[in-house]
Amino acid sequence: MNKKQTRFFAFAASGVAALAFIGMTLHSHTRFGELTNAQNITPAVVHGKDVWHKYNCINCHTLFGEGAYYAPDLTKITQHRGAAYLQAYMRDPSKFYDENRHRRLMPKQDLSEQEITDLILFLDWVSKVDNQNWPPRPILVVGASIPGSDFSAQQQTANAIQGGAQPPGARPVNPDLNPIALGQALFRKVAPACVACHSVADGVNMAGPSLAGIGARAKERIAAAEYTGQAKDAAAYIRESIEKPSAYVVPGAMYSANGQSFMPTTYAKDLKPEQIEQLVAYLSSLE
Amino acid sequence: MRYRSQEVAYWYFAVAMLLFGLQLVFGLLAATKYLGPDPLLYILPFDVAKVIHTNLLIVWVLTGFMGATYWMVPDESRTELYSVKLAYAQLGLWVLMGVTAVIGYFFRYGTGNKLLEQPLPHKIAIVVVMLMFLYNIGMTIRKSGRFTTTEGVLLGGLGLAAVLYVPALLEFENYSISIFYRWWTIHLWVEGVWEMIQGGFLAYLLIRLSGADREVMEKWLYVIVGLVFIAGIIGTAHHYYWVGVPSYWLPIGGIFSALEPLALLGMAVYAYTAMRRAGLSHPNTLALHWTLGSAVFTLFGAGVLGLAHTWPSVNKWTHGTLITAMHGHAAFYGAYAMIVMAMITYALPSITPGRREGGTALGYWAFWLQVGGMFGMTMAFAAAGIGQVYLERILGLGYLDAQLKIQVHFLMLLATATVFSTGVGMFVWDFFRFRPKFELAADADDARAANAIAAGSA
Repeated sequence: MNKKQTRFFAFAASGVAALAFIGMTLHSHTRFGELTNAQNITPAVVHGKDVWHKYNCINCHTLFGEGAYYAPDLTKITQHRGAAYLQAYMRDPSKFYDENRHRRLMPKQDLSEQEITDLILFLDWVSKVDNQNWPPRPILVVGASIPGSDFSAQQQTANAIQGGAQPPGARPVNPDLNPIALGQALFRKVAPACVACHSVADGVNMAGPSLAGIGARAKERIAAAEYTGQAKDAAAYIRESIEKPSAYVVPGAMYSANGQSFMPTTYAKDLKPEQIEQLVAYLSSLE
Repeated sequence: MRYRSQEVAYWYFAVAMLLFGLQLVFGLLAATKYLGPDPLLYILPFDVAKVIHTNLLIVWVLTGFMGATYWMVPDESRTELYSVKLAYAQLGLWVLMGVTAVIGYFFRYGTGNKLLEQPLPHKIAIVVVMLMFLYNIGMTIRKSGRFTTTEGVLLGGLGLAAVLYVPALLEFENYSISIFYRWWTIHLWVEGVWEMIQGGFLAYLLIRLSGADREVMEKWLYVIVGLVFIAGIIGTAHHYYWVGVPSYWLPIGGIFSALEPLALLGMAVYAYTAMRRAGLSHPNTLALHWTLGSAVFTLFGAGVLGLAHTWPSVNKWTHGTLITAMHGHAAFYGAYAMIVMAMITYALPSITPGRREGGTALGYWAFWLQVGGMFGMTMAFAAAGIGQVYLERILGLGYLDAQLKIQVHFLMLLATATVFSTGVGMFVWDFFRFRPKFELAADADDARAANAIAAGSA
């Protein structure tokens, strides 16, 4: 090859690659609307996106896996945490996490209530974009999909003896926390621990069904014809499920037999009323 | 120095060195925050430290590119620069833009769009600086009437870099579409046209340092450019996998990203063979270290470590973890930081007489501490990233719990980053410790001859 030929190669290769790339770009534009549910990009969602940019969120968090790696990915956050939780969290993150425990904490951002609402709407739009089902498994903020995998062997033994010790990632809770945060702590702390059988990750059904989106699903449950309990709203349904697990059983031979749920019936007796309310607050926030 | 106007390069290099030092201050601060708790949570939170760290990188590397171009073009075209005044005005505006942008970031004055955080007035200033620069270089070449291929590749890279900044000025209501075009700037810069710039400098240095035949070197330079663009342009697809695009981008991204190391392998082989067949042994062996080091470290950081996680079925698990930070640090350092330091090390002995042409002992320490430190940082990020992928993505441990379990790798990161920063500190000190004297090579030779005669007659 001489210089003239290699020059031709450089120009031709670049030209062909650029043409192919532009062709695929043009085709992608015909699909963006459908893949991203563009019809749902309301002015509030656009404002939420501006809030995301204004507070520089992307330089700690990732969205679609893009951003910085100092804080959790938020692509599907609205499917793991309900709007009520996120609204309360954004008002003051320190009411939910402890910097001494996790070694990092999100600084309080002083967003207006409107900014928080629209940011959550934007994140909810993000969670519904058709992105080849990424992430392949839920990315949790704290806790574990497999119960106990956040314990060391020593802690597992100690827990078996004492019951209800703090897992390494959990924070000590104090009563001035938001009830949702207290409920989240109880979810793993009560005996037997809710987290031993229930995941809050979508589609992770263990001994008990996944509680992802339970706040929203409760409303559908009580409206359905098969519903046999007394509850009139979502919170009451969740309270009833904790206190009287068999009032209504989720279909499935792995969850119940002869109309009797396999879930322990000891919570009504063992938990204080305010603890049950905190659990209800936490679970209702999962929408 | 053969042309008087080449002295502008020194001031560009000096600014680049200062910004490089400052970049590391913010990098070290950001790394320390991984160990937490953070006493600066409400003064300099992580996001601000990170924005300043990455923006200073872009600014100092571009400053280095511009300085190196002002050094190289007079040599290649055998002429003085078209306008020295314009070059200084450009540097002034550029520094003003950079400094005010960094101050603004402290107050969250920015767009909050990763790597394109520059506010609109600053983006416009960047475009103006680019145009001033391209005009000055273009007129210099036009005036001289001598336009080499090496220069052409460099100028093509710089011109396209300016053109590709245009998508950064666009705004879209659809976040997925804005991600799509963000990569036109970021990816096509670092895995496309910046590689042209690197290739141009590499060819210039190899021709000067090894005495390799220009025709042969430039012939292969075209091959490298072709390879860069075949893989690099369509390789943008590896940033599109999970952001809301049609699914064909996955296999296409996988295949073309796998081809990307080919161009980098080509560059490393290119540098190696040029040296093996060298007819000339240039005294500046330190510049040779940086030149070959850049070609090899690029192959490692950008090529091998990039390939390690661009295949879609791997990227599905590693996307958005510290694995990306592993690749990013090694790639940027090898390809762009090292090539700028190669150009500086090559140019410096003729701007600052008194310096040993073959490189000072401090200069060699700086090279090896940096290379060793950056390799260690890369490994620390790799270990942390692999731990994160298994714990968080595969086992399903919560993000915060997984981060607690990989703390030890953050300690390693900080330790190796300290070694790296020591190397950079030495490079910067070595740069400034000799005063610049802007005398032409011919004058310098005459002065030496006069001294020798004086010494002989005494």
